[in-house]
Amino acid sequence: MAVLTPYTFIQCPCSDSSTLGRPSDPNSSTITEADEDERTFDPRAPRSNFSLYPLEYLLYCEDCHQIRCPRCVSEEIVTYYCPNCLFEVPSSNLKSEGNRCTRSCFQCPICIGPLAVTSIETRPDPSLLAAPDNTAAPHSGPYALTCSYCNWSSTEIGIQFEKPNSIHAQLAKLRNGGSTRLTAKERKERRKDPAYRRYQATSSGEGESDQTENLDLETQFANLKAFYQNQLADPNSADTGLAALGDLGFSSPTSLSRIMSIYTGGSLQDRKAKSRLGAMREALKPDEGLQFAHLDESAAIETLRGEGHDGTASITQLVDQPPNLGEEHLHGRSRFISELRPIPYLLRTKRSKRCPVCRHIISKPEAKVQTTRFRIRLVAGSYIPSIAIRPLSLSATAGGGGSSASGATLPGALLEPLKPAHFLLTFKNPIFETIKVTLGAPAETPGRFASKVTVLCPVFEVDANTDVWDEALREGGATGGAGSGGGGEKGERRRGRYDEGSQANNGNQLEVGKIWERGRNWVSIVVEVVPASLRLDQGDAPLREDEDVLEIPLFVHVEWEGEAGGDDVLESVAAKDKGGEAREKRELAYWCVLGLGRIRK
Amino acid sequence: MSSKRHSILPPAPSGPKPPVHFSSSITIADSAVLTGTHSIAIHGESVVHPRARLDSLAGRITVGRRCVVHERATLGAVGVSGRVAESGAAVTLADYVTVEVGAAVEAGDTVIGEGTVVGVGAKVGAGAVIGKHCTLTPHTEIAAGEVLPDYTVVYSNGMRRTDKRGMAELKNKGLARQIDVLRRIIPSNPGKFA
Amino acid sequence: MSSRRAPRGEYIETETGNKVARKATLLGTQNIMLGGKTVIQPEVLIRGDLIRTIQASTQSGAASNNTAVSIGRYCFLSRGCCLRPPGRLYKGAFTFMPLRMGDHVFVGPGSVVQAASIGSHVHIGTNVVVGEFAIIKDYVRILDGTVVPPNMVIPSFSIVAGQPARLIGEVPEGGHEAFELRGLYKTVGNNPQPAS
Repeated sequence: MAVLTPYTFIQCPCSDSSTLGRPSDPNSSTITEADEDERTFDPRAPRSNFSLYPLEYLLYCEDCHQIRCPRCVSEEIVTYYCPNCLFEVPSSNLKSEGNRCTRSCFQCPICIGPLAVTSIETRPDPSLLAAPDNTAAPHSGPYALTCSYCNWSSTEIGIQFEKPNSIHAQLAKLRNGGSTRLTAKERKERRKDPAYRRYQATSSGEGESDQTENLDLETQFANLKAFYQNQLADPNSADTGLAALGDLGFSSPTSLSRIMSIYTGGSLQDRKAKSRLGAMREALKPDEGLQFAHLDESAAIETLRGEGHDGTASITQLVDQPPNLGEEHLHGRSRFISELRPIPYLLRTKRSKRCPVCRHIISKPEAKVQTTRFRIRLVAGSYIPSIAIRPLSLSATAGGGGSSASGATLPGALLEPLKPAHFLLTFKNPIFETIKVTLGAPAETPGRFASKVTVLCPVFEVDANTDVWDEALREGGATGGAGSGGGGEKGERRRGRYDEGSQANNGNQLEVGKIWERGRNWVSIVVEVVPASLRLDQGDAPLREDEDVLEIPLFVHVEWEGEAGGDDVLESVAAKDKGGEAREKRELAYWCVLGLGRIRK
Repeated sequence: MSSKRHSILPPAPSGPKPPVHFSSSITIADSAVLTGTHSIAIHGESVVHPRARLDSLAGRITVGRRCVVHERATLGAVGVSGRVAESGAAVTLADYVTVEVGAAVEAGDTVIGEGTVVGVGAKVGAGAVIGKHCTLTPHTEIAAGEVLPDYTVVYSNGMRRTDKRGMAELKNKGLARQIDVLRRIIPSNPGKFA
Repeated sequence: MSSRRAPRGEYIETETGNKVARKATLLGTQNIMLGGKTVIQPEVLIRGDLIRTIQASTQSGAASNNTAVSIGRYCFLSRGCCLRPPGRLYKGAFTFMPLRMGDHVFVGPGSVVQAASIGSHVHIGTNVVVGEFAIIKDYVRILDGTVVPPNMVIPSFSIVAGQPARLIGEVPEGGHEAFELRGLYKTVGNNPQPAS
């Protein structure tokens, strides 16, 4: 069983239907709060899965004064780039070229590892090569894409390249096996070519033989499109009685042109569309887009006999395959590994995020691919207190650290049923004002196994996150104790507690209403839980997955005094000159879930 | 300063000093660890990196020509099965074998074929016979007694495929070039183990 | 040369604040650059001896630069990990290339790193293998047991896992601070302080 480290998830208010769609101003939030007090949030409810996030994933809207989660923010793409070559792709290219890298970046169709372009003939050691420039004669071809992880090579599917660059363009012209195919442009030109037309005319006269020509998807679509476009343009097409059925029939030109306009971007919906035409005939020749389905699977069965199950592509491999317009329609036939093609890298994006309610931007990265800076980054972690959980073992050393970064004292230890256990919750205040925290937890956890929960100190204040240097100065004795209640004193108190922590935690300190420990901008309090017994009676449903995890819902209400209307002033600036301006009472309330550990079965 | 620290570092190789048969052209780092009671033979132009460990307690260890045994690789440790060599040969590496960082080849008639690469942190169980020109990707585990055909690639937690690149010759040449460089930059001290 | 020096503390602390465990193995120390405030735990192995043997033809003047491994500030190399420069054939001959690492890079226990470059604020988990010439950009998290294949490029804010590594998620906006290693630096050394 996986070791469970204690966690805190916070519920985004977006999942609460009562606050949806309107900004929560202080007055109304108190009302909804009252409602919320009535019903306990159940972390195991199916809906909760979609609203609980670790603090790092949450953003904060300064205008609505509300938490925002990845599910409720609206995203806007700032930059598209290839994750392999890190080149930016202009959004105009996206429409024409698709959402994949069109340079030479490919992933292995077998194992998803990166493919490198390597020269086939003079290459001394493919597994150690990084670039194609390392051979004695740099311009020797041909080249292949090889995977340095699973040793796949594009030569396995009969593909090799003449040049080491612009592989994407070269690959588009190659079918598996190495035979070339025409690009859309070349096909158009071929159609204009009189010699080809003559060939077409003669071959179509021969009938059947030509219909076995394999049309790839792209060609077939182009042929069909041209064929129907011609019919639409031709006013003399046979006017049969079906036209009387109106525009609903399959063969009706208007409905067809409507469908075609959906797929091709409106170019067809033009002058002819209005003139009602009769039914059209269907494609009869490959040139018109007719393609017989190959229902004869004997070849596939034969290959399966030879290569066995190992020769077929797995579902993951198939899903990773980009749509290949260069091959014919598979008609549901599954594929063999030998038919998989290199996967051009999917582009990645940098995205900015907006508040869903007030539409203000709450996160915006810089557009350049290589920079990691953000222009705007309003993360919840700098507005609401973080909650760290640490098991408090009264016999073992308690430690004095404020956060649980150093890990639990007994990592992954199981909770004994029906035996009281204690946990230290450390609230760390990120803002530059003193906050008043009020906690609410149900006496018993919801769900089939109700564990008893007691928050020993549900109301407390956490001092402001003053500058570290301020505190250092104060400790130096310059302005001792004047400002927000003597930081230096607290520092000492904390140290003292740390020293005695190892010997003096004999339970008598677990007083109701007392803070366990406090520091510059953090406070630790104790939560007592009596885990439920997981014994199942006759006829009970068996234990579900993770039902043994002790999760307690906790309602957090934070109150502080902030700058009135200081929307565009950073709070760090505001903290510097505290007096003078009008103060405004602010509050924020949300549910969170504390995952404490697993109960012994 | 560095020399001082090095003098402290390698705690004298524990266990008995094995009889060795070294080719004159090998490169073996001073801090490689050779231990055991059976003989250890290393053939021409092979390289043993610092902190590699060859343990012949369970049987003979043979390293072929132009092999590279990287740091922290272990040849000949007794595996969980406790199997030891029946024929007296604990581990046999053919020519052009690379055993990467932290890989372990267990003792017990284990054979690694020519040109095979045992990836970083991979484990070859006792008695396994790996064919020629195989590639075991990092963290691969080969069960005890398993037989791997030539040109097998083991990847992604035990998936198998066949290497169809036909690069064996070129790979060996590349390895030879790597050895050329390693011989220059790794100070060799075969005398220490004699 | 006596080996009875151990009581002086587990770590050697340098002027620039590096904490190097006495039980770490640094080969070719003259080719290893430490930016300062870097922690090297016991049983770490750094192959500074695998130097570049062919200089790039463009920079003939800078031939004296033999750095094999360069490490930035506030890096944390956990117990048993191994850093080694990647090697490849270059113009028909084999050479090692330098391994460069930015600031605030955490390398987990037992991981083997042969990357060409690692940016800043990178977390490499336990028992990870980073293949030769991988390029890892800033703010990247590599989960435990991942095998990063050779030559892979991992862009910023990626979370990768698997064998071979594939992208499984993005580092959220609020997760940047978690890469900061100043706090961790204080918790080790000869006078460790509790995490705050």
